[in-house]
Amino acid sequence: MITVNVKCFSQVMYALDTDMLLLELELGTTTDTLEKIIRDRADGKLDGVSLRTAVNQKYIPDVVELKDGDEVAFIPPVQGG
Amino acid sequence: MIQVEIINGPITPFPSDNLHQDDGAELVFNGRVRDTEHGENIIALEYEQYEGMAETELKKLAEETVQKYPVHDLFCRHRVGKVNVGEASLHVAIWTKHRKEGLEGMSWFISELKKRIPIWKWAIMEDGTRIPSECTHR
Repeated sequence: MITVNVKCFSQVMYALDTDMLLLELELGTTTDTLEKIIRDRADGKLDGVSLRTAVNQKYIPDVVELKDGDEVAFIPPVQGG
Repeated sequence: MIQVEIINGPITPFPSDNLHQDDGAELVFNGRVRDTEHGENIIALEYEQYEGMAETELKKLAEETVQKYPVHDLFCRHRVGKVNVGEASLHVAIWTKHRKEGLEGMSWFISELKKRIPIWKWAIMEDGTRIPSECTHR
């Protein structure tokens, strides 16, 4: 098993009602599987919301396997400015 | 020279000066909080950041901008926390030799900022409720 820290912002925070989740996952879990877990927990509130993935504070263009201790964020459309 | 900052509190503008003797253009942009959000009155926006990543990405973007455009100096301050209606949430100053590349560089920098810097807005409504802003202008 591995433990990852999921940081939640904006619509994700709103949908899950928390700013952080500590999740235990099977070894070999990938970012797309984790995104599905997060969307399932949101119970439809993230349907239609595009999410970019960041691992350890960097955007990642492709699916990657998660490692123990990773910090993951599923980033909804940003709104700076 | 590049200087980017994410700050929690009112923005002090970068000072104008007469020392950029090779630069014919000094451009300053202030993004301010409007009083409505999708037709509803608001009293403020609360800006949330992904702490660490937001400033790192902002610095990367500034570096890309000065590589892509002949910008000599790019200074940027972005606020987080509560920003009342009318106040500035974003302040950018760009110095270039000529106006055209300054305007283009400024426009590109702000457009990209709105696409990739992990900062979000929550609208504070007149009754005090706080909801995620739906505003994603490009």
